[in-house]
Amino acid sequence: MLARVANNLFWMGRYIERSEHVARYLCVNYFSSLDAPNEFSQSRQFVLKSMLFMVGDPHKTEEELYDADVLYNIGLNPDKSYSIINCVKLARENANSARDIISTELYEAINKFYHFVLNYSVDDYVKKGLYDFTTNVMEFTAILKAKIRTTLLYDEVYSIIKLGINLDRATQVIRIINSKYNDILLIRNQDNTGMGSSLEWSTLLKCVESYDMMNRFQKKIPNSINTLDFLILNSNCPRSVINSLHEVTEHIQVLSSEKKPKKDSTIFLVHKIYNEYKYKYIEEIEVDFQTFIDKILNDLVAISKKMEKEYFNY
Amino acid sequence: MKSCKDHPIFSSYSGQQNKLDEVFDKNQKVKPVYQTLFDIYGAHSTNDFSILNEKAKTSFFNQGITFQVYGNNQTKEKIFPFDLFPRIIDSKEWEHIEKGVLQRSQALNHFLWDLYHDKKIIKQGIIPEVLINSSANFLKKMEGFNPPGGVYNHISGTDLIKHSDGKYYVLEDNIRCPSGVSYVICNRTALKRALFGVFDKYQIHSVTNYSQNLLEIIETVKPKGVDNPTSVVLTPGVFNSAYYEHSYLAKGMGVELVEGRDLFVEKDFVYMKTINGPRRVDIIYKRIDDAFIDPKAFRKDSVLGVPGLFRAYLKGNVCLVNAPGTGVADDKAVYTYMPEIIKYYLDEEPILNNVHTYHCSRPDDLKFVLENIHNLVIKPVDEAGGYGISIGNKLTTQEINKVKEVIKESPRKYIAQPIMSLSVHATYIEGEGSFEPRHVDLRTYTLLGKDKNFTLKGGLTRVALQKGNLIVNSSQGGGSKDTWVLKK
Repeated sequence: MLARVANNLFWMGRYIERSEHVARYLCVNYFSSLDAPNEFSQSRQFVLKSMLFMVGDPHKTEEELYDADVLYNIGLNPDKSYSIINCVKLARENANSARDIISTELYEAINKFYHFVLNYSVDDYVKKGLYDFTTNVMEFTAILKAKIRTTLLYDEVYSIIKLGINLDRATQVIRIINSKYNDILLIRNQDNTGMGSSLEWSTLLKCVESYDMMNRFQKKIPNSINTLDFLILNSNCPRSVINSLHEVTEHIQVLSSEKKPKKDSTIFLVHKIYNEYKYKYIEEIEVDFQTFIDKILNDLVAISKKMEKEYFNY
Repeated sequence: MKSCKDHPIFSSYSGQQNKLDEVFDKNQKVKPVYQTLFDIYGAHSTNDFSILNEKAKTSFFNQGITFQVYGNNQTKEKIFPFDLFPRIIDSKEWEHIEKGVLQRSQALNHFLWDLYHDKKIIKQGIIPEVLINSSANFLKKMEGFNPPGGVYNHISGTDLIKHSDGKYYVLEDNIRCPSGVSYVICNRTALKRALFGVFDKYQIHSVTNYSQNLLEIIETVKPKGVDNPTSVVLTPGVFNSAYYEHSYLAKGMGVELVEGRDLFVEKDFVYMKTINGPRRVDIIYKRIDDAFIDPKAFRKDSVLGVPGLFRAYLKGNVCLVNAPGTGVADDKAVYTYMPEIIKYYLDEEPILNNVHTYHCSRPDDLKFVLENIHNLVIKPVDEAGGYGISIGNKLTTQEINKVKEVIKESPRKYIAQPIMSLSVHATYIEGEGSFEPRHVDLRTYTLLGKDKNFTLKGGLTRVALQKGNLIVNSSQGGGSKDTWVLKK
C-alpha cells in the first residue's frame, strides 16, 4: 500500500471516530443537563463550557456563551477545526484519495454521510435539530464502521483504518473522561458533595456509550472508582482505553513482517505502552488523575508520530 | 409507479426537419427497436419521471461521481448530467462500428511507428512532411524508440456521429488520454437503479468488463524480463475533474492509483513509495499530459510528474500507456488523412467515413474556408473538450470577421468541416418536464495490446442539452446517456 494512501486511510479512520464522539458528547451532555439535580450543573454556561472543553477550545473569559453559537461552532461551523462538519469533510477527503482501494460500499456510505452533514440546515440544527443531527451522525458512523468491518479485506488497508479508529477512540474517550472529571470537580467545589453524584458518573458513561455495559458488569451505582476503572482498564468493555490499545497492538502487527521488533519501531512502542497500562490499577491512576491524563494523551500522540515516521513518510 | 395519461412525457415531442431522429421516424412513429422502451417510459407521468430523474441524480451524488466547480471563494460539487432514456444500437450496426474503430486504431498505431522510425508515409508523399514537422505534439525524443510490444495507442477513444444520411462518420480519434469510459459504466448502474424493469425487455451487452480487459491488455506490453508486472494508474490528483475515472479504473483493475509524488526513479527504474518501502513499478497508465510527466524531460515546472520517468521509459524499464508522442496522430489535421493512412498500412478501404475537412494551411482550402465560414465548423487542430470550436451558422458577422482574423494569423492551427447534422435522440429536459430531441454523438473505446485487442460493446453517448446545440462535450454543458448494444 502506498505510504500516502496509508496516511489518508489512517486519518479517515480517525475523523470518522472523532465525529461520533463529538456528536455523542454534545447530545448526551446537553440533554442530561436539562434536568440536572442542581442549579449549577443545570446552567447553560456550565454545559456549554463543558462542550468546548471537550473539543479542545476551552472558554477562558467571563463572556456569556450562547447555545446557538456553541452548537454551531461544534456542529456545523466549517471554520472550526474541531467541528463535526470538518471531521466529516476530512474523513471524506481522505477517503477520496484512497477510493480506489476502499470498497465501493464504504465510499458510498461516507459520501452519503458527507452530503447529510453538508446539507443540514444550520438554522434547524441550532434551534430544534440537535438530537436529530447528532443521532444521525452517530448512526452514520455506526454504518461506516460496519462497512469497514464487513466490506474490506482484512489486510493492511483494514488494519491502517482500524489503527486510526482505535487511536482516536482512546484519545476521545480520554478527552471525554477528562472533560467530565473536570465538570465533577467544578460541581464539587460548588456544593461540597465529594466526588460528584452518581448522575454525573452515569452521564460520563453515557457520553462513552457504555452505561448499559457498566450496568451489566457492575450492578452497582456508578462512582468515580468503578466508572474510571471500567472506562480505562476494563478489557471487556469495547470502549475502554485499554481495549483500544489492545486493538492497536493487534493491527500494528499486520503492518510488520519482522518477528522480533526493533527498539525504535512503532510496534515496539505500542506494545511497551499497552503493557504499561495493562498492569495498572485504578487506585494508582486516581491518586494523580491529571498527570495520568496528560501522560496517556502524550503516549497516544507518540504512537501516532512514530507511525507517521515509519509508515507514512512519503 | 402510476400512469398519468393526461400528461404523457412525450406529448410535447416535436420532430425535427432535416434531422435524423434515432427514436422516431419521419412520420413521428416510434421506430420498432424503441417501441418497448417507448411504451414503458410513456406510461410515466411527468411527475413520476421527475422523481426518477432526481433519484438518478442522487445515485450519482452518493456514488461520488461528481466534479468540483470553483467560484466565488466556494467550491460546489456537480454531477455530469445523465439522461435516463438510453440509446439503442442494434447488433448489425454495432458490428460495423466495432470493425471500423478497431481498423482506425490499428492504422494509427502503424502510423505512429512509421512516424517515429522510417517515415515511409512521408517519403512516399502520402502525408506532407510539413504537417508532422509543424505539429506541436510530434515528440522528437521518441524517434527511433521501440515501445514495448510495438504499441503506442493502447487506448483509443473514437468520436462518431450519425449523419442525416443514416451513416456513421468519425469526428475525431482521441489517442492521447481519452476519458469518459467510467461514465459508460456509471450510466448503466444509474439506469439499473432507477428503472430496473426496462432491462429484461432487451438483450444487451454488458459494459462492466472494461477494466479487466484494460489490465489484461496493458500487461501484454510489460517490460522485458518482468514476469508479474506491477501496474499503476498515474493521476494528477483528487482535484482533477477526471479523478473519479482514475480511481474507478485503478479500483476496477485492482492496481494502485498513484500521484507523481508517490513515485521516484532510481538507476532508471521506477518505484512507488509504500508502507513497506520502495516497490518497483513496471507499467504506468498515465492520465497526465505528456508535457507534465517528467520535469527533467519536458516541462520543468511540472509538479505532477516524476523526475527521470521518461529516461526510465526510453531505457525500457517501464512501459507508459499511452506512449508519449501519440498526440501527433490525433491532430485534427492528420485526421483528414485517415483514409489514406488506413489504405497505406492495412491495404483496406476505411470502414467508417471521415468528414470532409479543409486544411487552412492549404491556400485553396483557406480561401474556401474564409469565404464560407457561415456553412462550416472551425476547429483548432490540437484542442480537446470542445474548446475553441466555432460553428459558422451560429456566429454574428462581427464574430465571423474575428474568426477569419484568427485563422489568417495561424492557418496551420485550424481545420474546417461542413456543419454535420448530428442525429437527435429523445432526451428528458428537466426545465421542461418532458422529452425533447437533442443532438448526440458516440465515443467508443478500443484497446490495443501486443497481439490482443478489445472494443467495449457500448460507449459514451454524449448529448448536447441545449436546444439546437451541436457541441456535446461535458465541459461545454453536455450530458450523457446509457448506450445499449443489442446482442445478436
